[in-house]
Amino acid sequence: MSEAHRFGSGPVQAAGPWSRYLFTGAVVVLCLWVLVPIYLLLVNTLSSPEAVATYPKRALPEFDTQSLAFFMNYAGVGQALWNSIKVATVTMILSIGAGAPAGYALSRFDFRGKDTFRVLVLMTRAFPLPLLALPLAVLYIRIGLDDSILGLALVHTTLALPFAVLITFSLFSGIPIELEEAAWTLGCNRFQAFIKVILPLVLPGIAASAIFAFVISWNEVFAAAVLTIEHRTLPAFLLQGLAESPLHLKFAGGAVLVLPALLFIFLVRKYLFSMWGIANR
Amino acid sequence: MIIKKNTLAAALATGITLLAAGAASAEVLFWSTQARPVEEAQAMRDQVLSGFSGDVDFQPSENGPWLTRVDAETQAGSGKIGVLGSLHGNLISLSDNLADMSDIGVDGVNSAFLELGKLGTDQQKYIPWMQATYIMAANKKALEHLPEGADINALSYDQLIEWAKTMAEKTGSPKFGFPAGPKGLKHRFFQGYMYPSYTNSMVTKFRSPEAELAWNKFKELWSYTNPGSPNFSFMQEQLLTEEVWVAFDHTARLADAFNTRPDDFVAFPAPAGPTGRGFMPVVVGIAVPDTAPDMAESKALVSYLLEPATQIETLRATNFFPVVDVELPDDMPAAVRMSGAAIATMSGSADANPGLLPVGLGDLGGKFNAVYVDSFERIVLAGQDVRTVLDDQADALRKLMEEAGAPCWAPDVASEGACPVD
Repeated sequence: MSEAHRFGSGPVQAAGPWSRYLFTGAVVVLCLWVLVPIYLLLVNTLSSPEAVATYPKRALPEFDTQSLAFFMNYAGVGQALWNSIKVATVTMILSIGAGAPAGYALSRFDFRGKDTFRVLVLMTRAFPLPLLALPLAVLYIRIGLDDSILGLALVHTTLALPFAVLITFSLFSGIPIELEEAAWTLGCNRFQAFIKVILPLVLPGIAASAIFAFVISWNEVFAAAVLTIEHRTLPAFLLQGLAESPLHLKFAGGAVLVLPALLFIFLVRKYLFSMWGIANR
Repeated sequence: MIIKKNTLAAALATGITLLAAGAASAEVLFWSTQARPVEEAQAMRDQVLSGFSGDVDFQPSENGPWLTRVDAETQAGSGKIGVLGSLHGNLISLSDNLADMSDIGVDGVNSAFLELGKLGTDQQKYIPWMQATYIMAANKKALEHLPEGADINALSYDQLIEWAKTMAEKTGSPKFGFPAGPKGLKHRFFQGYMYPSYTNSMVTKFRSPEAELAWNKFKELWSYTNPGSPNFSFMQEQLLTEEVWVAFDHTARLADAFNTRPDDFVAFPAPAGPTGRGFMPVVVGIAVPDTAPDMAESKALVSYLLEPATQIETLRATNFFPVVDVELPDDMPAAVRMSGAAIATMSGSADANPGLLPVGLGDLGGKFNAVYVDSFERIVLAGQDVRTVLDDQADALRKLMEEAGAPCWAPDVASEGACPVD
């Protein structure tokens, strides 16, 4: 509420008390929408199997780490986590490496087929992965990319690329071309102008779209389950069996899957805020 | 930009190193759709496969990725998978790409299952690995509501309906549970339990008056069934939370309830109908794909899995029963003892009427299941007219049987050519 006071003269206040209650209410509902499931997940993760199976549910965890300990000792979890991080990092680098130049080109140049290109970029999301996985796997086995971090990262890059292109396109479009032109008149060539003037301005946004690529890769299961066997990513490794495991292990497994991603988002949150135009605090 | 290029190069290098590392390992990759739950997978690795002379990488997987991966390796002509473990129905569709295993010793292996494993060829396409079936489980609190004179080990469907009705009325909420959820195995109940019990058939009498009676009886049972059932897929969960007191499910999907609170539950045979006590044994097979990197090592693993000691460890790990003659030790988990006794009573009962898993349907197995699931959804969930639905679905079933050209299997009488649907 202190925030609301500080911005007391903003549009929210001006619209009268009712809309302020409505606004606060909506904020509370949205926060609960996200936090309650995570809270329940954590409570059940930290409860004993017996407590998980009984009703009514406890409101506070008992701090029983039995279920979590199972996953800590589960053969291959650490390796799978490491694989996930590697694949997601490579995906992040590749999708920004290819996506940011494409976004720049889309916003700065006019060329034939520009609109078609923008639609085509989106088309990569139009084909369901289960359909593509078979021919891809056959191809990968033949050319030796099978069961490798790079091979899977290439698939994930394809999935993340449309977002990388479209996000960076709008970032570059938001920066007046006059800034670049001014740099050119002062002796920069196109590349120098980009590095010295444009890049510092869009860097937070690029970081945000990189995070997006990371999350897309982190969450993808089907391609990972078919294209990797010995180098499985965490979701592919755990989700295969989790749906059929006892309830307390489902909760603990869910937490194992969610926590690293939450932690990552928390660490990089200021870049996400900058993508949405909220100032760093 | 320079930094970016370096990282990219590093990433590429990592990928290539990993490739090289992958090629060097000599483990047998065991690609399985069974023992998927994390605890079972862990037990397979730690207790079952650790005794094998070589190294095994046990990787359980869901049906979709499992099949896609095997198909990909077949099409590519080379692969990493050494041994396949899956249900009869999944292995059928791979028949052309499985190596012949006639040279593996199969002393003491159930001969009916071995015959199934030939998949209609003269080669041993897969070897039975383990078996299971579906039984009933009840919370002991439910027993006081049993109908007068009913023997829990020789229940009839009428008595089950009466029992469910009494429980619903006495406790104020329906206490019978049925795994009708998205991952529930409801189709097996209709194929292997309801149809054989009421029509002495699974296919031929699909739309008979007896079948109509069966579906109407099931509708009656459904009215005393927990309304959450369309979300239930593993009845052990609802039994443990006591949302449900009496349930039908796969032995492996009841095991957690029996093991967690053995004193609170009883296991008992499926009920009987006018034409006997229908039940369906489930066979899981192991096979070696033609593309296995080390054929000899793969076959050695298959032989190892058939050893009596391994079979007992597998039972402990997965709650799937041995396919070879073994003497079970006394210290087996509660679920094994309880389900084992119920299965023995069920298959040994005078009116036992086993229905086999579909044979010879090839990759039409999924469509075959859909006939029964669709009938259930239309008749029971949507409340459509039983006669109309059965006539519709019988057409679909007939077309499917003719397309597959599959002759009848038990309990239907063997047929020349495709199994007829009257």
